[in-house]
Amino acid sequence: MSTGDLGTPFRQRAGGAMQDAFLQEALTIATTKFIGLRREAFAGFPDGESLRDQARAIKEATLQQLDRHLETLIANVERLGGRVHYAATPAEARAIIVDIARASGARMAVKSKSMATEEIHLNEALEAAGITPIETDLGEYIIQLAHERPSHIIAPAIHKTKGQVAELFTRELKRPAEPDPEALTRIARVELREKFLQADIGITGANFAVADTGTIVLVTNEGNGRMVTSLPRVHVAVMGVEKVVPSMSDLMVFLAILAKSATGQKLSVYTSLVQGPRRGGELEGPEEFHLVLLDGGRIAQIDGPLREALSCLRCGACLNVCPVYRQIGGHAYGYTYPGPIGILLTAMMEGTEAVRDLAHASSLCGACLEACPVRIDIPRMLIELRREVDDRKIAPWPERVVFALLARLLQRPRLYRLAARAGRLVQRPFVASGRIGRVPLFFGEWTRTRDLPAVAARTFQERWATDRELRG
Amino acid sequence: MSTKAEFLARIREQVRRAPARFAAETARRPQHPAAEAESIRRELAERWPETLDAFRREFEGVAGVFHRVASIDMVPDAVTSIARERDARGLVTWHAAALGADLVPALGARGLDVHQMPAAEPTDGSERERLRSIAARVDLGLTGVDLAVAETGTLVLVSGAGRPRSTSLLPPCHIAVFDRTALLESLRQVGVFLEAWHADPASARGGAINFITGPSRTADIELTLTRGVHGPKEVHAIFVDQPFRG
Repeated sequence: MSTGDLGTPFRQRAGGAMQDAFLQEALTIATTKFIGLRREAFAGFPDGESLRDQARAIKEATLQQLDRHLETLIANVERLGGRVHYAATPAEARAIIVDIARASGARMAVKSKSMATEEIHLNEALEAAGITPIETDLGEYIIQLAHERPSHIIAPAIHKTKGQVAELFTRELKRPAEPDPEALTRIARVELREKFLQADIGITGANFAVADTGTIVLVTNEGNGRMVTSLPRVHVAVMGVEKVVPSMSDLMVFLAILAKSATGQKLSVYTSLVQGPRRGGELEGPEEFHLVLLDGGRIAQIDGPLREALSCLRCGACLNVCPVYRQIGGHAYGYTYPGPIGILLTAMMEGTEAVRDLAHASSLCGACLEACPVRIDIPRMLIELRREVDDRKIAPWPERVVFALLARLLQRPRLYRLAARAGRLVQRPFVASGRIGRVPLFFGEWTRTRDLPAVAARTFQERWATDRELRG
Repeated sequence: MSTKAEFLARIREQVRRAPARFAAETARRPQHPAAEAESIRRELAERWPETLDAFRREFEGVAGVFHRVASIDMVPDAVTSIARERDARGLVTWHAAALGADLVPALGARGLDVHQMPAAEPTDGSERERLRSIAARVDLGLTGVDLAVAETGTLVLVSGAGRPRSTSLLPPCHIAVFDRTALLESLRQVGVFLEAWHADPASARGGAINFITGPSRTADIELTLTRGVHGPKEVHAIFVDQPFRG
C-alpha cells in the first residue's frame, strides 16, 4: 500500500520538491542543524565510537536468537498482566487495534509519535471505525490537522512555516493564532491537554522492548509519551519484532547513543520504561495493556538480504547527511520511511518493485553509513537492491537498454576507443568549457539538472599509449 | 489473524536458517546486580561532591534549575520561594513516605495549598478522578528522586504507591528533592540499578520508570526550541546536603 502521492512518478515528485523554495531552505537549515548537533554530541563523548560498535553487535546478537528473546518478552508481558497480539500484515495490525478500541468502548484515541502506526496507516482505520485518533506530538499534530504525512522521521513538520501553522490553527481549531512558535505551542498544549484527560485509549510505538523485564521503552521530548501511557484506561503499544533487546544492560547502550544521533541531546527529555498495566497501589497507569507485535515484511529479512536494516533505531541521522534527502525531503520518497534507510525499509515492507526508482535515489557516497549509530551498511544494500531491480527486469526499458549497451561497450576496448572518437565528433556543437550543458532528444532529461562532462580531447588510453612520462 | 504459534514458528525457521553475520555478544550483565549496585553506592559515598558538581553542570545544561539546602527542614522555604516567584499556590506532592519526609504541615503553614497523594490506591474510581484533576489544575508538583545521573543531568523517578506518575508530569513546574544517596555517575551505573530492581522480587514498584532530563521541549515549529509543550515548563532539583532518605 502506498502512502504518498504515488500517482506521479518519483522523478516528478523529487523535481517538484526541488522547485519548492521554502522546502529547500527548510531542509537545508534543519538537516545542517541536526548534523552539527550530532557531531558536537559525539565530539564530547569519548565512549561514543565503542558504544556504536557495541550497539551494532547487540543488534546482531539479538537477531541470532530473536525467537528466544521474543518468547521471553511475551512471557514477561503476560506475567505482568498484559496481552500480546500477533500481526503478520499492516491490515492485521489495524484490525487488532480497532478490535481492542471497540471492546473498550473507546471514542477517542491519543497517540504518541510512532513510525510503526504510520506504517500500518492506523489513523484511517480508527476513523473508519468511529474512533477519533489524535496525534499528540506537536509536529504530528500539525500534519494531522493539515491532512499530510510526516516528512522527517524525528521532525515530521519541518516542511511547514510558522505562518502556515498559525493559519492552520486559526482555521482548524478556531483559535486566532499568531505566527510565533511559543504561542502556537501554548495553544497546542491547551488543546491536547484536554484530549489526554478525556481519551479512553492511548496508542504508542516502542523505541525498544526489554525482553528480560517485559518493559516497553518510549523516548520523547515533549512528554506526550508519558501522558499517553499514564492517563487513558487502555494502552496499546505497536512494535516491529526487531525492536526487542535482551536486557536493561543492553538498553542503556542504545540510550547512550540514540538521542545523540537524532537531536544531539545526551538523552531525550523523557525516557519512559513502562511495564504492563498499573500495579497495586498506583494512582495512574492503564488498566489494560496490549502489545502488538508486527511482522510487516521484517521476519522474512532475518535470513534475507536486508537483515542489517533490522538494526535501525529510527534516529533519522542518515536522512540529515544524505545529499538526496537534503534536496528532495521526505515526501518525495512517497512511503512512510524516507531517506537512505527508508529506501531499504520500503523494499522490506512493500517489495522490490516499490523501490525500482528509489533504489537509485542515492549517490552512494557513504555518508549514511558514517552517520548511522549502529553502522548499518546502507550503500551496500542499495547496490544489491539495484542489482535485483536489474536482474528482475523491473527497471524501465530505456534504462535497461542503455545499461546493457554500456556494459557491452565497456567489455570491448576497441569498440570503446571507437566510441570515444565518435563521441568527440558528435559532442562538438554542445560543448562549452569542457562540459555539456544540454543534449538533444529524450537524452535531455539527463542534463536538465546537471552537466555532462565532455569526452576529453585526448582520452586516458590515448595518453597512456603515447606519453612516456606517464609510464615513468 | 495470525496465531502466536505460527507467528513464532516463522521467526524460528528464519533464525534457524540465517547464518550469523559476525560473532556478536549482547551487553555484559551484572552477575549479582544487587551486590554490584551496593558497591557502586559505596564507591560514590566517597566522591559524591564531584558527582554532584557534574550533575549540576549537566542538569543546568538542559535548562534545569538547581538549588542546594543544608537539611530537609529547609526544603519548604525553597519550595515556597519557587512558588512565590511564579505566583503559584496549588501544589501536589508525593506521599510523605515516598518522599522520605513529611513536608505537608510546613508547606501549608507557608500559605501553599497542598494536596498530598495517598499512600495507598484509592478504592473508588471517582476519588482517582478527583486526585487526577487536582494534579491537572495546580501549578507545582513535588516529588522525590530515585536516581540522579551526573552524565546526563537526568532524574530517574519510579512510580508506585504514594508516588503517582502525574506529579512530575501534569503541573507546569516540577520540583524534585534528593540527597547524595540518589547520585550516580553514568548511564552504565543506571543499568546496574535497573537490573538490581528487576531482580528483586520483594520490590513493590509501580509500572513506570521515568528518566527526566530537563523540562519538556519541542522544536517542531521551524526548529525553534520551545519548553513546556506537554510536560512541565520548569524542572527544579533541590539537593539536600544532610541525607534524609531512609
